Amino acid sequence: MSFRQSVTIVASPRKRVGKTLLARLLVDFHLHENRAVAGFDLDAGDRSFARFLPGHVSTAAIGDIQEQMALFDRLVAADDVSKVVDLGAKSFDQFFEVAYRIGLAEEALHRSIAPALLFVLSPEPAAVEGYRMLRERFPNLALTPVHNELFGSLHQREAHPLLGAGTPVLRLPVLAPALRRYIEVPPFSFAEAWLADASDIPPAAHLELQRWLRRVYLEFRELDLRVLLADLSASIRLPR
Amino acid sequence: MAKPAVILVGADKGGVGKTTVARTLLDYFGAHQTPVRAFDTEHPRGTLKRFHPDVTDVVDVTAVPDQMKIFDTLGSAQAKVTVIDVRAGLLSSTLRALSDIGFIESARKGQITFAVFHILGPSIASLEEIAETAAMIGDANYFLVKNFINNTSFFDWDPATYNSYFKRIKGAEEIVVPHLSEMACEQVEVASAPFVTFVANKTAKGEAANYSFVLRGYVRHWLGNVWGEYDRVKLIDLVAPKAASDVRQQAAG
Repeated sequence: MSFRQSVTIVASPRKRVGKTLLARLLVDFHLHENRAVAGFDLDAGDRSFARFLPGHVSTAAIGDIQEQMALFDRLVAADDVSKVVDLGAKSFDQFFEVAYRIGLAEEALHRSIAPALLFVLSPEPAAVEGYRMLRERFPNLALTPVHNELFGSLHQREAHPLLGAGTPVLRLPVLAPALRRYIEVPPFSFAEAWLADASDIPPAAHLELQRWLRRVYLEFRELDLRVLLADLSASIRLPR
Repeated sequence: MAKPAVILVGADKGGVGKTTVARTLLDYFGAHQTPVRAFDTEHPRGTLKRFHPDVTDVVDVTAVPDQMKIFDTLGSAQAKVTVIDVRAGLLSSTLRALSDIGFIESARKGQITFAVFHILGPSIASLEEIAETAAMIGDANYFLVKNFINNTSFFDWDPATYNSYFKRIKGAEEIVVPHLSEMACEQVEVASAPFVTFVANKTAKGEAANYSFVLRGYVRHWLGNVWGEYDRVKLIDLVAPKAASDVRQQAAG
């Protein structure tokens, strides 16, 4: 099997851990790699994902079955468009309950779509429990823990008891506080053309932002590689 | 040689989901590679036949020629499991007719495996139906089915009263059919396909379909829960012991 597209859920049961920033960066990364992408803002609170990238992100909900059909049927549509979901903390439990019942990961794989889950780590019991639940219920989902370095370095695994010694962690590097103000006003894209046109960003800040972005995109490329390798090893294992 | 098995699916009230349960049974036996045939007594136009045309005949169970068609062929039919979807309101009278032709006695003698799936309605009258039905079925395997597919509430029932009726029938088992979203039910109806066919995203003719993934997922999850109930009461062991043994051998091998 080789994946034509991916569906990536960015999630955490906790608020304000960097989910939306991560989702924004992912959308721009796909565009940077010349891949068609569609984002879905499932954060009923402030809908900031949609406000930052209005051309690529739409709002979504899963309150009733019609809303669930509108979202999940689209997530597994084999349309060569990669999907990124910013899953708000309030929708965390319901989203994964529905995803489990309807077999989201299995259906995605069946359609040659790479299902991935970026789980933003935090030490609270709810987050630890959430990670444990996802690992148990979704063995077919490429579950990648994310460490937002804004909250300090990744301590030894004691703070995250479910992370094994060899568990790859995607790092979201910290952005200098002085630069954050440039990226926090919607709409905003990390695309080269957009940044080039952003006259309010001084050249030095622009350079720093580019350096930071390269580090982020390197993490995403490593994630792509891991998903690809997982697919390859599964293909080799499976009898044909 | 395996003895033939007959499963009556009935209710003394319409609209409780009797045919839905019959359909899940046909899918269940199909999944276990157990040849099954079905008789739909909603003569002249049967709902069950619409979903499972290849294995279902529409009959008038009150007519002697159709009774012969069903019961005279139990031993000779290729399918050793026969499911009879009894028209609403006719469960008791059908059981009386079976008694009259000696079928109940044959079951009592162990010549036929006989099971009754009694689909219960939410009103208190259903409890009285249990007592009436139980008196007629002899040693049949009696399954009381609470069908929540349409979110039926069984609030009218005092648990103590229900239990007292339930306990009167030796060996009775309860089966719970969980709720399924109305939209999913509707889509399956429109497709006129068996549940497993809908889940596999195929039309009734076996061609590729384009049903909603969400609805297929909910139907698959629901059907898995229903079949889990059939597994729990060891239905395959009851009606097709050889098939159960084959499946276990395949699983072990």
